[in-house]
Amino acid sequence: MPIESGNRRRTPAEPLPVRRKTSYGSAGRASRALSFSVAVRQVFGSGFGTGFWLAAGWLLLVAACALFATVLPVRDPLDPVIVNRLNAPFTTNWLGADGLGRDMLSRLVHGARVSVVISLTAVSIGMLIGGSLGILAGYFRGRFERALMAVLDVILAFPWLVLLLALVAFIGQSLMAISLAIGLLWIPAYARVARANTLSVVQREYVLAARAMGASTLRILLREVLPNVILPVLAYGLVAMGLVVIVESALAFLGLSVEAPQPTWGGMIAEGKRHLAVAPHVALVPSITMFLTVLSLNYVGDRLRSRFEVKESNL
Amino acid sequence: MTDSQHQTQKLPLLRVEDLTVRLRGEAGIVHAVSDVSFQLQRGQTLGIVGESGSGKSVMARALMGLLPRRATQQLDGRVSLAVDGRVLELLKLSEREFRTLRGPRLAMVFQDPMTALNPVLTLGVQIAEPLQLHLGLNKAQAMARALELLAQVGIPDPEGRLRQYPHQLSGGMRQRVVIAIALACDPRVLLADEPTTALDVTVQRQVLDLLLALQRERQMGMVLITHDLGVVANRADHIAVMYAGRIVEYAPTSRLFSAMRHPYTEALFKSVPRLSDPSHTRLHAIPGRPPQLIDPAPGCAFAPRCPNVQQRCRRETPALTQAGDEHLHACFYPIGSREVGA
Amino acid sequence: MSETSNPQLRARDDIVLKVEHLVVTFDVGRELVQAVSDVSFDIARGETLGLVGESGCGKSTVGRAIMQLPPPKGGKVIFKGQDITRLEGEALRKTRTALQMIFQDPISSLNPRRRVKDIIAEGLQIWERPNQRARVEEVMEAVGLDPETAADRRPHQFSGGQCQRICIARSLALDPDVLICDEPVSALDVSVQAQILNLLEDMKARYQLTMVFVAHNLAVVKHISDRVAVMYLGKLCEIGSVDAVYQHPSHPYTQALLASIPELETSQEDAIPLLQGDIPSPMNPPSGCRFRTRCPKAQAICAQQEPAMQASPSAIDDHFVSCHFPD
Ligand SMILES: Nc1ncnc2c1ncn2[C@@H]1O[C@H](COP(=O)(O)OP(=O)(O)OP(=O)(O)O)[C@@H](O)[C@H]1O
Ligand SMILES: Nc1ncnc2c1ncn2[C@@H]1O[C@H](COP(=O)(O)OP(=O)(O)O)[C@@H](O)[C@H]1O
Ligand code: SF4
Ligand code: SF4
Ligand SMILES: [Mg+2]
Ligand SMILES: [Mg+2]
Repeated sequence: MPIESGNRRRTPAEPLPVRRKTSYGSAGRASRALSFSVAVRQVFGSGFGTGFWLAAGWLLLVAACALFATVLPVRDPLDPVIVNRLNAPFTTNWLGADGLGRDMLSRLVHGARVSVVISLTAVSIGMLIGGSLGILAGYFRGRFERALMAVLDVILAFPWLVLLLALVAFIGQSLMAISLAIGLLWIPAYARVARANTLSVVQREYVLAARAMGASTLRILLREVLPNVILPVLAYGLVAMGLVVIVESALAFLGLSVEAPQPTWGGMIAEGKRHLAVAPHVALVPSITMFLTVLSLNYVGDRLRSRFEVKESNL
Repeated sequence: MTDSQHQTQKLPLLRVEDLTVRLRGEAGIVHAVSDVSFQLQRGQTLGIVGESGSGKSVMARALMGLLPRRATQQLDGRVSLAVDGRVLELLKLSEREFRTLRGPRLAMVFQDPMTALNPVLTLGVQIAEPLQLHLGLNKAQAMARALELLAQVGIPDPEGRLRQYPHQLSGGMRQRVVIAIALACDPRVLLADEPTTALDVTVQRQVLDLLLALQRERQMGMVLITHDLGVVANRADHIAVMYAGRIVEYAPTSRLFSAMRHPYTEALFKSVPRLSDPSHTRLHAIPGRPPQLIDPAPGCAFAPRCPNVQQRCRRETPALTQAGDEHLHACFYPIGSREVGA
Repeated sequence: MSETSNPQLRARDDIVLKVEHLVVTFDVGRELVQAVSDVSFDIARGETLGLVGESGCGKSTVGRAIMQLPPPKGGKVIFKGQDITRLEGEALRKTRTALQMIFQDPISSLNPRRRVKDIIAEGLQIWERPNQRARVEEVMEAVGLDPETAADRRPHQFSGGQCQRICIARSLALDPDVLICDEPVSALDVSVQAQILNLLEDMKARYQLTMVFVAHNLAVVKHISDRVAVMYLGKLCEIGSVDAVYQHPSHPYTQALLASIPELETSQEDAIPLLQGDIPSPMNPPSGCRFRTRCPKAQAICAQQEPAMQASPSAIDDHFVSCHFPD
């Protein structure tokens, strides 16, 4: 496969140096790292690399926490044990306790539930509505596309936080309401990704060939366009989930996320900032958790995207 | 090349010895180029002909030091370039040293003019850039030279074109611009990798004629890579036919056409449609397709498609052997040999 | 634009496809580009018409306009006595199946996410034909693909030549009358090109096809065609039997095209001057004869008056040329 694309590529800006005999045997850090990655590849049997599996493992862990939060052997996330107040990690509590003496680990695990639910729902809403609109716009073009793009541009031009605040004020502060609000906010981005991918697919001659066969529009959309657009959109969805987690925390910072006692990562960070001077772990632990999660989502999303990139030729 | 001092006169401009390239592909190690040797004199054109996947582009990239580093498993052999009375061993150079050669010494023209130019820069900037970089010209000088170059490659209204973007040009025009960029620093060796495959016949003819005229005028050495024997027929001094990563026949052009020995060369020759044939003449297609170069089996790579194949071809790999003055071929039962009973 | 007379249309009763005064325009920003202006030709049953010209002269556009993809802006496309530019919806979809098309880039004309057998069966499924499996296997074998090993694979596992075979199989599955080939070998190596050209000839005989063969290489066109039409900048320059056009090229453009073919024989320096420069933009074509900006024989009249289609001086039947000074 790589040759054709290789032929077509322009000279790389920084051409890659090639030395004699760049084989495994020769010493040097570069080739050691190379043979290590080859070994890992042999163990895992696929070309994803260690980073991918670490990230995917972390995401799996977060998902498991969210799913089994109530049955996991952790303390009650809402139970204030005043004596433990602001205790550091690895003392009374594994990951320390917060300003009210609640167990941080338990709050993280329960908070994962909120993060997962919000990001899954929001992304699904955005993907379904935005994705469909984008595909239709890219396929039919014309007036519909122009109108849709104009509306989307207006939405995108709005400061998103203001929009979100307005939506939350309007729909409410329950878990579902927040998910819905963030999901709606996400529609324009999805519509754009889906439209761009559709535009490039529609130019392909297999779409023309299907029309020459007498295929109906619906059939073309479902059989020829959708399968080629859905994977890039899904991969984008993973990256978007990471952003949703961040958006939730921003809302929490403003006190507008899910109502108070319910633990959320954003809420924990917001609360921790009060204790930054004396007990930085209260803000740090949820921050690191969130950081790792968002990083993993982006990494896995990117990797999957390059993996699913349509293979169109072999020679 | 320690004895080179006595024979500077005869010293080839570019000399390639036993070049071997192995790449890591998805399905395994690809033996893309195996034991390729040739030399190129000043002012000469070497045509390299072969089907797609025969290793032509990989070879050209190896000469330019542009192989994908992470995919290169092995790069062996010797490539010597004679410049300014010195002989440089290209494969031993560091990337930094190599970079100073690309442009003023070695240049390459790529297959697809549509993607070889940067869509967001004007043509003027793209031609002037290497001039500023390598020849140390200032901006105004570089632009003046760019103008000259555009005129040389036959672009009408060069002043206007300097400010245009690649998408405003047709395919043939773009390939001319790519050639102008390649020639900007007056290279000694020009590698043209299927420079006209993406163009249609009339433009192909113009671009080939242009390349040849510039090569003669500047006395460059040119390697002209193509899959179509017709393209090199009247243009190259020597032709090397490549199959499955190896040179299978090498000869001066006129000799190759008058006395080709390798069955693959003949098969390629016959598959070109000719104007002199009457309509609906059946073409001589080569059955099957070139081999995948992963774990090549022993024996002649052309055996599965060869009309002359015998038992021995499947056991042993034929080596390049002399078949006359400057004429080499790698075949046990070449055309015209007794065993074939032609 | 005033419509010209069309002496090149033949009065035969086995004409399968007739194109009259075909005009195709595209919206480019604010301007209208006339990619095809007033082209007329006809094809008899079992004939192959070669359509040649430089890149951008409108060959593909003619091919697609015949398929009504998209329908032309003007003119008629008469298929088996019926003007299909007037058809719409279901009737058009149905008629289209009798006309099939093969494209230049075999790789981009196959959906990468589907299996070969589904790609080939597409038309059969749409029209709910019986015995789909048998038919798929039959056409696969006809084009030289092994149904056992190839049916379940996806296009990226095949080389360019094999992808073109898949495309041909797909277009044959619905048993069309007319096959329009849009540069089917331009993206292929010479050796594979020969395989595909031979295959097309075989398929034509086996399935009694009438073909339109679009290409820019006159040598390729000669091998496969009975009649040849030469196009320049959206107009027809010359049309006639292969022998007429190749032995007695009457239009200066045809002569220039012939001279530019890479020849194997080590013949030197051609007498005919080569074409200089590029094809002008169709946005504002030259007045009068569109070829005049590159024509070695251009005179004052060429800029003023558009040449009409007329019988060629070769005096061969059905050989027509549009030039004020034909040879
Ligand atoms: N969708 C489109 N929108 C605007 N202009 C178009 C479109 N399709 C084709 N054209 C223009 O119409 C003219 C004819 O194009 P066409 O593709 O038919 O040429 P062609 O003869 O098939 O060339 P090639 O050999 O490159 O395939 C060109 O000038 C082209 O730029
Ligand atoms: N980056 C790469 N990684 C792995 N294999 C490659 C790469 N580039 C080329 N190849 C392989 O090298 C062989 C020769 O390719 P190439 O030189 O591009 O052929 P040609 O130019 O003659 O068409 C092919 O089998 C191809 O699959
Ligand atoms: S060595 Fe044998 S198989 Fe190879 S080309 Fe010669 S005759 Fe054919
Ligand atoms: S009409 Fe005039 S310009 Fe046109 S082709 Fe004939 S001689 Fe040339
Ligand atoms: Mg190549
Ligand atoms: Mg075309």
